[in-house]
Amino acid sequence: MSRRGANPLHVLSLVALSLFALAPLLMLIVTSLARGWFYPAVAPTAVDGSAWRDLLADNAHRGALVTSLTLAVATALVGTALALPLGRAAAMSSRGVRRAVALLAFAAVALPPVALGVGLQLTVLTLGLGGTAAGVFLAHLVPALGYLTLVFLGVFTRWDARLEEAAATLGAASATRWKLVLLPLLKRPIVEAMALGFLVSWSQVALTLLVGGGAVRTLPLDVLAMLQAGQDQRAAAGALALAIPAFIVLGVTRVAVRNTAAVVA
Amino acid sequence: MSAVLDVQGLYVLFGDAETVQMQRTVRGVTLDPAVEVTIVQPPGYRIGLANVAFTVNAGDCLAVLGRSGWGKSSLLRTLAGLQPAGNGRVVVKGQDVSARQPEQRNVVYLHQEPVLFPHLSVLDNVAFPMTIRGVDRQVSARRAIDLLARLQVAETRGNFPHALSGGQRHRVALARALSAEPAVLLLDEPLSSLDPEVRRDVRNALQEVRDASGAAMILVTHDLDDALVVASHIAVIGPFADLSEPLSPERMLDKPPHADAARLLGVFTELAGEIREDGHFHWLGGRIPAESMPEGRAVAFVRPHELRVERVTGVNVSSLVVTGRRDTAHDVSLTGRAEGGETVSVRTASGSDVQVGDSFVVHIDRARFFPAH
Repeated sequence: MSRRGANPLHVLSLVALSLFALAPLLMLIVTSLARGWFYPAVAPTAVDGSAWRDLLADNAHRGALVTSLTLAVATALVGTALALPLGRAAAMSSRGVRRAVALLAFAAVALPPVALGVGLQLTVLTLGLGGTAAGVFLAHLVPALGYLTLVFLGVFTRWDARLEEAAATLGAASATRWKLVLLPLLKRPIVEAMALGFLVSWSQVALTLLVGGGAVRTLPLDVLAMLQAGQDQRAAAGALALAIPAFIVLGVTRVAVRNTAAVVA
Repeated sequence: MSAVLDVQGLYVLFGDAETVQMQRTVRGVTLDPAVEVTIVQPPGYRIGLANVAFTVNAGDCLAVLGRSGWGKSSLLRTLAGLQPAGNGRVVVKGQDVSARQPEQRNVVYLHQEPVLFPHLSVLDNVAFPMTIRGVDRQVSARRAIDLLARLQVAETRGNFPHALSGGQRHRVALARALSAEPAVLLLDEPLSSLDPEVRRDVRNALQEVRDASGAAMILVTHDLDDALVVASHIAVIGPFADLSEPLSPERMLDKPPHADAARLLGVFTELAGEIREDGHFHWLGGRIPAESMPEGRAVAFVRPHELRVERVTGVNVSSLVVTGRRDTAHDVSLTGRAEGGETVSVRTASGSDVQVGDSFVVHIDRARFFPAH
């Protein structure tokens, strides 16, 4: 089949999509380095890295970054560890149980963050964890668990149970089956689930604000505060700092799942 | 020779939600209402096969024939511990394994499609059972290569399963099963989805495994040829099943235990008729001696080489008119119409020159009779 020339409409669509995707990022980069850039100036009058220096030098921001990273990593690990057996158990259950679990998981994802946040705030306060990092972690875990349970429910609905049967009759006990068969074959969804769990927590604002009550500072909250205070240059640098780990996680995920075997036979 | 596998009073359950009471007829086996038996029946299962009992000796292969849905796979999965059993005992090498997990039974179950671990190379797949047992890696690799060589797929040891042909996958799965050194090897229709060439290839591999392993094997199939080539004994599962007396392939063909078994074998012409007081079986095409058989409606089963057809001129009381002829590689099927309009089909060894429209008579050298139900 001969290759046809590029369709102008396709090219235009691609350019438009690229602009939509990249323009905010480019704008952040420029703004974070611009000095004295006000309307109607087309370009900044001066460029400097003071916003970045301030951001990195500020202990409070560094603390917020560490808190954000800790919460995101914990959410990724605990969320995956809980969602994997939950999704598996649901997939192996009756259709009614499967639907109920899917519905609950979807509710955690689909509820408006403010509605979910108010409910979680009351729950966390009851547990005596209001305004603590542990409370915020539990709040982040709820939507993350919803996403990840849906991921593993899908994985195990298509899972070839005969692999485990074959391993069992060849002499592999449950722990050995997990070690030698399930986990190697599930490497890809596990890594992807952890990345998803990380990103769900990393980008949380409403839940952190409602449950943390301002006592738990995370990087997204700091960026929001800078924006509200009119510190556009620092807010842009903070927003970029927020994006960098997300890109790193996506990159690491791509590398980690390269050449892994298919999830289902 | 001592039995490696001894199954007694096993109730095989079918995995669906239908509930069947014990005192009912279960797939044709009427359970004695006077005998009180409490059957363990987990939710979601019903009784499929009742009171199954048989033994298989070391080095023997029992072929279990039966149509789809008659419980062949359920029987194997129950023996392997992959699904719950009702009552009964499964004894492997003198040990009651009924309550044991699949990995503790020394029973390897091979699925219809070979299930190889896609993330492991062929060598690692075959070494898998030895890896579990903690065998030294070099030793297990050597043994795995030996097994692959025995099954003539040594050259594939570095490949991954997705790169193997259908026949190679079966051979590798067999090699892996052998590396577990099972006491019992269960084969769930391993040949059913294969094209003829691969089928012959895998049949040969199964023969080699039977001769070399010393395991007690059960081959589930619905194909008589598979059973004839691979098995030392044949049993039929399903309505009126009696696995307790498996027959040799020759004996099974010579004298099937019941009409259902004869039908299932698929090699007989079945003739409906009646045994009368003259001691003969009367059917559309004539009569056959049937001494020592009770009078009444009956069916006769005749193999193609026991049945000859002869073209005749004119019409007599026993002649039929050919209304259809179908040739296969093994025999010729003729549909004949009697004077009264009834039709009957017969299979005879190839070579018959009778054509559509001819009149013919049937000579039967030997038949097996069963009461008609």
